[in-house]
Amino acid sequence: MVSDDPTAVRCTDIRRHFGEGEARVEVLCGVDHSVRRGELSFLVGPSGCGKTTLISVIAGLLEPTSGAVSLFGRNLGTMPPDERVLFRREHLGFVFQQYNLLQALTAAENAAVPLLAAGMRRLEAVDRARALLDRLGLGSRTGAYPRQLSGGQQQRVALARALVHEPRLVICDEPTAALDHATGEAVMELLATAAVHPDRAVLVVTHDSRVYHFADVIAHMDDGRIVRTEAGPSSPVPTSPFPSTAPA
Amino acid sequence: MTWVGLQMLRNDRAKFAAMIVAVSLAVFLMQNQAAILATMLSMTAAQIRDVKDADLWVTQPEVECFDQVRSLRDIELLRVRGVPGVAWAAPLVKIDAIGRSDGGRLNTVTVLGIDDASLVGLPHRMRVGQADAIRERDTAVIDPGGHELFFPGEPFRPGRSIRIRDRRIRIVGVSDAAAPFTGLPLLHTSRSTAAALSLGEAHLTSFILAKATPGSRPAEVCRRIDALGGLRARTTEGFARDAMRFYGSQGVPMLFMVTIGIGLVVGAAITGQTFLMFIKENARPLSMLKVVGTTDRQLGRMILLQGALVLGLGSCFGSAIAAAVCDLVRTQPFLRSLYLPWEIALGTCGALASVTGLALYASFRHVRALEPATVFR
Repeated sequence: MVSDDPTAVRCTDIRRHFGEGEARVEVLCGVDHSVRRGELSFLVGPSGCGKTTLISVIAGLLEPTSGAVSLFGRNLGTMPPDERVLFRREHLGFVFQQYNLLQALTAAENAAVPLLAAGMRRLEAVDRARALLDRLGLGSRTGAYPRQLSGGQQQRVALARALVHEPRLVICDEPTAALDHATGEAVMELLATAAVHPDRAVLVVTHDSRVYHFADVIAHMDDGRIVRTEAGPSSPVPTSPFPSTAPA
Repeated sequence: MTWVGLQMLRNDRAKFAAMIVAVSLAVFLMQNQAAILATMLSMTAAQIRDVKDADLWVTQPEVECFDQVRSLRDIELLRVRGVPGVAWAAPLVKIDAIGRSDGGRLNTVTVLGIDDASLVGLPHRMRVGQADAIRERDTAVIDPGGHELFFPGEPFRPGRSIRIRDRRIRIVGVSDAAAPFTGLPLLHTSRSTAAALSLGEAHLTSFILAKATPGSRPAEVCRRIDALGGLRARTTEGFARDAMRFYGSQGVPMLFMVTIGIGLVVGAAITGQTFLMFIKENARPLSMLKVVGTTDRQLGRMILLQGALVLGLGSCFGSAIAAAVCDLVRTQPFLRSLYLPWEIALGTCGALASVTGLALYASFRHVRALEPATVFR
């Protein structure tokens, strides 16, 4: 069960390193960050600043070395691994830079994967995915395989896959990086209209400054820390209430 | 999710086909070699098992198989007949001699002389003619391989003969006797005709065939005959097993086992390696599935089903090829006994499945160890 906590994502003093001894690299150096429900939040920063590691920790895919992550009031650190997988399956959706569609499945079948993983019957799952793809403007391409789709169309299928099970947090990793500007704009437009919901948070990792205007909140990251959080151009709220940690 | 796994496998047609071909060839190789071995071993006991009307075989104590002939004195037949529990006993004569057909073809032949009165040991099935026609003096029925050797490519024609030790033996039919291990033509004739072919040996009887009385246990009757001294009695199946064991200890089966082992290792190695490669090349999609909440158990089921499909299809194809080759080969008269026992078909598939199972387990471990976060990189 998730609580009615208005904060969707709360990261408290997250630290994470890779390697040991001389090879030890501190990737996250005490990140405090939060994302509220209904918010389209951007996590921006240069390559190698720790964005991907942070969303991996938020998604429960990586254990932080220290610190705590809670999603909708549930502390991920206290969940057994199996429960974390089920929590992720039920409450999280993902959009990846490289789409990561299964080449063996049609667009509708790809979009239905989270429902299939949750045990829904195939025909029912594909029907639901097909209806969502129709709403995302891909109604005529539901039977196409990924190789038959353009980059923008593939990213829309990936978006459908992220939303089909109505998750409460959608995590997008560089969703426009592999797309040209116009297609990237279209995908972000779709993300802003289809994914944002009063009871759902959307966290976008990007360094594509051309799409910053879609953000409600922009958190700037550098050297493993959130260095600044500011309201985005489309913000209905001023800034995240959670204090950012300034670089040392 | 298992359906997703099957779609992934179907999509990678090259690897899917390679794995099925590897399993098919391994199964074919193992089944073919195992079938030849099983057939060879069963051929060593074929003439013993072919005698359906007797259930006891009595020989000299040191005789281990049908091809070892050590004559018994005629008095032994009477001793056996006198043993409690023996319903009847009849002599069987075995002579190896050179035969020559009308057309001049020479071959060593095995002549089996059957008791004239009882005809115990007569072939039960005939391809052409009547078996009991051998009651007439200087006649015999010949097995299909022998007919092919003496009269290659020709159908059976009455009136043909084979000259053995200056006697003309008229062929009155073609039996359906099992192919002998020696590959020699097999002539069934009467004991009196066989005696006329002998070289004047004092004792002719090679084996004594006997039947236990109703209610007597053949094994118990064997013990009573053994107790007479100087004789060894075995049930038909016991003598057949002894013959197979005797030839089985000669080293030839070991050579076949090596080939079967190679088939198992090569088939499992290619299948396992290709499957592991298939899993490794699909690391990113599998990581994505883990990210979206597919459990290790679900992924394990996917891998198991993929492996089962490959093994199932490959085993079916391999077994079908092995059976077809077997059917094709047995049309040859000398190879008519070749058969593929279902135990071998099942056993070879099971052996391959067990070894390939290790590769599936390795693949599953690889998938379990996959770091789902790599999908973001």
